[in-house]
Amino acid sequence: MFHREAGVFKTTYASDMALYPLPIAKWTMVALAVLFAIVLPASLEEYYLSILNLIFIAVVGALGLNILVGYTGQISLGHGAFMSVGAYTAANLAVRLGLPFWLTLPAGGLMAAFIGALVGIPSLRIKGLYLAIATLAGQLIIEWTINHVPAISGGAQASIQVPRPDLFGFVLNTQSRLYYFLLFFAALAIVATLNLMRSRIGRAFIAVRDQDIAAEIIGIDIFRYKLLSFAVSSFYAGVTGVLYTYYLGIANYEQFQLGVSIDFLAMIIIGGLGSVLGSIFGAIFVTLLPIVIRTLMENVGSLFFSDSELANVVSGTRLAVFGGLIIFFLVIEPEGLNRLWRNVRSYFRVWPFSY
Amino acid sequence: MSEDLGFFIALLLNGVSIGLMYSLIALGFVLVYKSTDAINFAQGEFVMMAALFGAVVVGFNVSPIVGAIAAVVVVLAIMIGFGFALERVVLRPLLGRPIVAVIMATIGLASVLRGLTPIVFGGETRALPLPIPDDPVVIGPATLPPIQVLGAGVAILLFLGFNWFFKKSRMGVAMRAVADNQQVAQAMGINVERYFALAWAMAGIVSALGGIVWGSMLGVDVQIAVVGLKVFPVVILGGLDSIGGAMVGGLIVGLVESLASGYLDPYVGGGTKDFAPYLLMILVLMLRPYGIFGKRQIERV
Amino acid sequence: MMRFERRWLGLAVAAGSLAFASSAFAQSKELVFGFQCDRTGPTATVGTVLCPGYHDYIDLVNSKGGVEGFKIKVIEVDNEYKVPPAVEAHERFKKEGAVLEGLYGTPQTAALNKKLEEDKILGTSPGFGTAAAADGKRFPYTFPIAASYWSQAGGAVEFAKEKMGGLKGKKIAYLFYDNPAGKEPLPILEDLAKSEGFDLRTFAVPAPGVEMGSQVTDIVQRYKPDFVITHLFGRAPSVSIKELKGKGYPLSKVVAFVWGSAEADITAAGGMGVAEGYNTLQFAGVGKDFQVNKDIVAMYKAANKPAPKEMDSTVYYNRGILNAALHVEAVRNAIKAKGGAAPTGEEVKKGMESIKGFTLGGLLPPMELTPADHEGGGWVQVWTVHGGKLTRTKDWFQGYRSVIQKHLAADASKS
Repeated sequence: MFHREAGVFKTTYASDMALYPLPIAKWTMVALAVLFAIVLPASLEEYYLSILNLIFIAVVGALGLNILVGYTGQISLGHGAFMSVGAYTAANLAVRLGLPFWLTLPAGGLMAAFIGALVGIPSLRIKGLYLAIATLAGQLIIEWTINHVPAISGGAQASIQVPRPDLFGFVLNTQSRLYYFLLFFAALAIVATLNLMRSRIGRAFIAVRDQDIAAEIIGIDIFRYKLLSFAVSSFYAGVTGVLYTYYLGIANYEQFQLGVSIDFLAMIIIGGLGSVLGSIFGAIFVTLLPIVIRTLMENVGSLFFSDSELANVVSGTRLAVFGGLIIFFLVIEPEGLNRLWRNVRSYFRVWPFSY
Repeated sequence: MSEDLGFFIALLLNGVSIGLMYSLIALGFVLVYKSTDAINFAQGEFVMMAALFGAVVVGFNVSPIVGAIAAVVVVLAIMIGFGFALERVVLRPLLGRPIVAVIMATIGLASVLRGLTPIVFGGETRALPLPIPDDPVVIGPATLPPIQVLGAGVAILLFLGFNWFFKKSRMGVAMRAVADNQQVAQAMGINVERYFALAWAMAGIVSALGGIVWGSMLGVDVQIAVVGLKVFPVVILGGLDSIGGAMVGGLIVGLVESLASGYLDPYVGGGTKDFAPYLLMILVLMLRPYGIFGKRQIERV
Repeated sequence: MMRFERRWLGLAVAAGSLAFASSAFAQSKELVFGFQCDRTGPTATVGTVLCPGYHDYIDLVNSKGGVEGFKIKVIEVDNEYKVPPAVEAHERFKKEGAVLEGLYGTPQTAALNKKLEEDKILGTSPGFGTAAAADGKRFPYTFPIAASYWSQAGGAVEFAKEKMGGLKGKKIAYLFYDNPAGKEPLPILEDLAKSEGFDLRTFAVPAPGVEMGSQVTDIVQRYKPDFVITHLFGRAPSVSIKELKGKGYPLSKVVAFVWGSAEADITAAGGMGVAEGYNTLQFAGVGKDFQVNKDIVAMYKAANKPAPKEMDSTVYYNRGILNAALHVEAVRNAIKAKGGAAPTGEEVKKGMESIKGFTLGGLLPPMELTPADHEGGGWVQVWTVHGGKLTRTKDWFQGYRSVIQKHLAADASKS
């Protein structure tokens, strides 16, 4: 992901498919592991860890959505609802049956995968805008169901409190303990996606995206793979929902409404469609953007605006910049941050002898 | 007339009038999609913008009639200009890109508009009074708010106008040609880009009138943009590229909502209203994916 | 080489001592309040008016020398009515050493309940969050500090009883926003319908609530109730006023919960003239005649500035003042109890729990916060649109307090 040799020296398919294209890549991975597992948690304040925690959760969701939108070329405006499916499944299991997180987490993911595949059924007949709106309908119907079925929502408030996850007697109740918990799942999601995408399934997804008719001709059952893509993507979403639930200690569908689906779409557009690294960049970017803009405006904004104006200006600017960046990336750099990263890399690939 | 029948008729007329109000917004969406294949998720924000400018103009407190006319003129001018500018700056570079790109661009645009609004206009709610009587319009057992009757009237007028435009006028025929096949249209000497811009300007016209009517009904602030969500079932039911479909889709959604909340809500504990049109929409999608009036495109997925 | 190192050492020592000095200074003279707001999300129309009220009151306190010698620094974070930014906001407040925080939004409050308790920073949620949070034993660090939806339901029914002269055999329609907040009062209303012998029918308005012609037709033409209680959000209250009036239902027989009761809702419905007779529940005083409003105007005048235009929207603005005033009082109590030293989050919680008889000239109810009751008694007022403005028609009262307490106890034993 991070390195480039100074040319193409691959002679076998196996080496082309390798997870670590270069020996040094392994060492980079080790360095990254040390950085995230030891250096960061030891050196950062709790506040920064909490931001990293939010980023880790977002990474899982963004990867899932990217599998569907970026790799398979479908579209979903119902990602938020799939998260709530995972969240409520896990919360109900944890509270009613007292199950530990290592059971509720996959259960939440599987339930979301099932519901996601159901919502994905229209994708067999329709695409593009029609699919976008069918998934939007899925989002609203799931919200309605949770809101109106107390057996799922746990009562009129539609929120279920869950106990903190417990690992070998360690109650994960501080940001630094949750940090390891979430880091593990984010890393797992990244590795799983990288591997999925170099498997037969991943290549089938890409074939469906690039030219579905051609894919069908070469023997890919596109119905199956479209539904599978919805299921896998929703599994990630469900896990994201479960992680949010354990992170916050509560499942509440109002935190997974349409705006969340749109935020995640923004992450993968800004980060780069069809790219693992892009999903990570996007999750970081969208999570940090409001914080950075706010900090910036708090420090320099007072030069231009009075205090009472400032609060409105900060908020409005943040929203406008967020939207403006989405448009900017779509118009100027459709492949997102990931493309910018690759540009930098390919520049250094032959540096200092470009051309 | 029995009470039940009276109630039914009241629900029916309420559904028709609110349905036509939905059509008013959906028209803008359909006009753009029909001509340029672009999808506008910022339709609600267009309406918000129009309503805000309208409220500002009316807020100058000249006589009610002059104020209303001035508001219509000013808002039309602004929204048409905005439509042209938007097409040039944002949409044209996205021509031929995947659908998700256009969707996200308009979602981004919605964010920009919602972010700039409180900075420019402030956050407070404004009224947008129009010079129409306060007393409800009584039709048999139904009483309708006058603003809904006005909105329904505007929607019908726009429908007739655009229908004429596309069938009879030279520009309208050219637009249809562009919508049908861009390459051939270009080969016939039609300036395709100009007609794309025109389509966005026409969406601006519809949003301007829709914004003034809806703004007058709801009051004007950022939240008015939520009416944009009402557009999707309407256009899917009616067909994305049919002006008549937008009208019929609006009527269906209005009627389904009205009757569902009148007859279903007592049994399931309420809230079927936001949900019934979407359920119907999914059924239509499975049976006639191109909508009731949409153009059938032969394409296997 | 040696000199070089020494110079760096010196610089580091200087920087370190400076940092130490400034933090020590901050600790002795300044207290940090965290405050969440929504200025761009779905409730922006409330936030852009309510939050300036909060800031203005804190500025007023600071301009008079602060609270017990401490200046207050407010850190505001716009959470856009989203949960992840609300979590980030809380962590930031914690990092900056906030002694308390103002929450914003029901899902955000639900998401932070647990964190508040773990971090021992109290959070206030006036007018939103769940009714069960009034129970200070279950939610030790969450303070609704104003009438919950349950207490508002009690208040609305009691007001209806007074207006109709009894409830037996009457019909009441409940028109509500179809979300958890809208459904929360249902158990109270159903219970009261049984015990008071009135007929209750509910009418749900789904989000976004821009249209309710059919529900109102149902209410006015089929059900024909003696009284209507509305609990709506966003643009929906204005639509309800217009529809009810348009279909010929007298607005004097309508009472709205606290988020359908601002000047903005009435303006958007066509103005005070249109809404004559409309009754609203309030958990803070309405109008600009309170001494504190005058003081804020005077403070702006002293700085040669006009009074903020948000002040004209007195319902929301005064709710911001209420939130700020209770924050300041809690801290004041905590400082006094500690003999003038800077309090911790835990001590501020105790300070909040000892607020009693502090009404700010009638802007706040005669509430009493205790370790068990974080709602302060569930007081409401009724203000009615009359002669072009909101006028007070019923002073502070607690509607069916015993019923609410019964439900709180039942809810606590369930979990």
